[in-house]
Amino acid sequence: MNNMHNIWKERFLHYVNEVQKYMRFIVTGHIAIVFVFVAGAAGYQYSEWLKVAPASFPAEWLVAAVVGILLAFSRPTTLIREPDQVYLLPLETQMPAYFKKAVKWTFWSQLIIPAVVYIVAIPLLNTVTELSSQQVWLGLAFIIILKYLNVVIEFNYRFANRGQAIAIDRLARGVLSILAIETALTSSIYVAAIYLVLFFAYKMSLQKRTAGQPVPYEHFVRLEQNRMLRFYRFANYFTDVPHLRGTIRHRAWLDSVYKWIPFARKNTQLYLVFRTFIRTDDHFYLWVRLTAIAAIITAFVDIAIVAWIVVAALAFATTLQLKVALLSNSEFRMDMLFPIAPTQRSQAVEKLLRITSVVQAIIVTLCAMMQPYFYVIPVIVIIVSELTLRLSKK
Amino acid sequence: MTILQVSNVTGGYTRKPVIKNLSFTIEKGELVGLIGLNGAGKSTTIKHIIGTLLPQDGEIRLNGVTLKENMDNYRKSFSYIPETPILYDELTLKEHLELTAMAYGLDEKTLKERSDFLLKEFRMEKRLNWFPSHFSKGMRQKVMIMCAFLINPPLYIIDEPFVGLDPLGIQSLLEQMDAKKQEGASILMSTHILSTAEKYCDRIILLHEGRVRAQGTMDDLRAAFNMPNASLDDLYIAMTKEQDNEQHA
Repeated sequence: MNNMHNIWKERFLHYVNEVQKYMRFIVTGHIAIVFVFVAGAAGYQYSEWLKVAPASFPAEWLVAAVVGILLAFSRPTTLIREPDQVYLLPLETQMPAYFKKAVKWTFWSQLIIPAVVYIVAIPLLNTVTELSSQQVWLGLAFIIILKYLNVVIEFNYRFANRGQAIAIDRLARGVLSILAIETALTSSIYVAAIYLVLFFAYKMSLQKRTAGQPVPYEHFVRLEQNRMLRFYRFANYFTDVPHLRGTIRHRAWLDSVYKWIPFARKNTQLYLVFRTFIRTDDHFYLWVRLTAIAAIITAFVDIAIVAWIVVAALAFATTLQLKVALLSNSEFRMDMLFPIAPTQRSQAVEKLLRITSVVQAIIVTLCAMMQPYFYVIPVIVIIVSELTLRLSKK
Repeated sequence: MTILQVSNVTGGYTRKPVIKNLSFTIEKGELVGLIGLNGAGKSTTIKHIIGTLLPQDGEIRLNGVTLKENMDNYRKSFSYIPETPILYDELTLKEHLELTAMAYGLDEKTLKERSDFLLKEFRMEKRLNWFPSHFSKGMRQKVMIMCAFLINPPLYIIDEPFVGLDPLGIQSLLEQMDAKKQEGASILMSTHILSTAEKYCDRIILLHEGRVRAQGTMDDLRAAFNMPNASLDDLYIAMTKEQDNEQHA
């Protein structure tokens, strides 16, 4: 028992360290600032809308649906690793102690999302429903219990069926969760407790089926790998995750761009950098994503100063992140041996980023045409990009 | 005429040197084998010559200049084939050749002539528009070899060239090396395959624990070890044993 406890502890510390390492960059990243702006703007719009929200608004159903769907996705975090299939095999009978900790962690770490969504919806419930504040908070307690049951059931379902047809299990739990929350908010919490009994019966039947089954290591390993990969992909938006190799796509429709670079020794790095940018998904989609966010925000926000700040922040983020990504020297490349001026690479990157900032300015301006002072936007994009290029370190 | 002159070079990745007081030369038109066990310092020596590591002490002259004196000339004077192929995932085979040609100042006509010949020689004509992700290890190696031979430098530096190549690929590479030698180019080749080294190299440098243990033609080496008729394998094993005895004595 003690043994299992230590294994989990060790795993957990390692996992927390790994997540922390990248969280630092995520929290301090430029996109985080954008998120704060977006959240602030959304909060403002929400509070404005609450003032005029119609009393007939189906708030209970909306809350039940959103939270119910979130509850259905209760993927277990087991921290099982590939070598475990070999090294933990002799400890098979002790594994329940390990998984107990894993389920506990899964519950606590995932609880925050449905809880926050529900808490955000409380002003809405107070405005358009007759619920007393005691009922509203009982609703939260009810959701916490539902979350726990969902986590335990998804774990046991995956254990018993090796993850097969998980969509059916999720659909069933999602529908049940939605109905349960809806009942708790509209009828009484005691009637809703019937749903808890159903959940409990489902849980017991699954737990019976898992008894005596070998640990489905392969399924859990795949689950863990996918989860970490998603995290790394996400972290990669903010910083350079070293072991994450970007996918390459030809994007033949952009081949004509390369014709603008004549065959000459002084253009060697331009030849390379243009292709690297266009064909590496990480670089290309970074630009597409940030440009799209800027375009959408300027298309819908009619307060000029807010649009300007967002556009400036995004132009800064685009230029800085692409510059860092394209000038990174962490891996050996053959062009490091080329008999060309060492400054050629940074000059090529600057030229590329000037072009991408102009294209970004054009796209964002076209989307902002309906808004006041839209003609200031291209000036901001180009000036901010240029300043970022010049003032950021080489 | 001396193409490469390594004089009293000491160096490594950290303060603790991997290669110690290394000296050797390569003359025009010579094929020299750099032989040593894993960890003997072959790759470190090569990294110093190509300039990705700088010597802590000593000097490396290539075609008469050091890297510091004339970076352009130094870098133009060699081409390098690494042990594991290093390719751009985002460039096709054709673009690898174009990029290399641009960097070394070849004109388009020369590029066309030389690449047509190399593509045919290494049987890669049909793969011009492929990306490296579709290449096998041997094909990746061939891309590196073609880029190296495209620029016709006075010195070729080839690290473990035969690993991963099919027999026809090895044959083509040896033929190309021989052809370049006839034209007056020099080649420094590091390898573990001693029989091939013995057969093709004009001179051999035996590297052991970061030092040149012995160097010269096969006859020189046989004389140095006092083992007439010995093969390179025999000499090599004798050298490592001798070293062990010295350590135990």
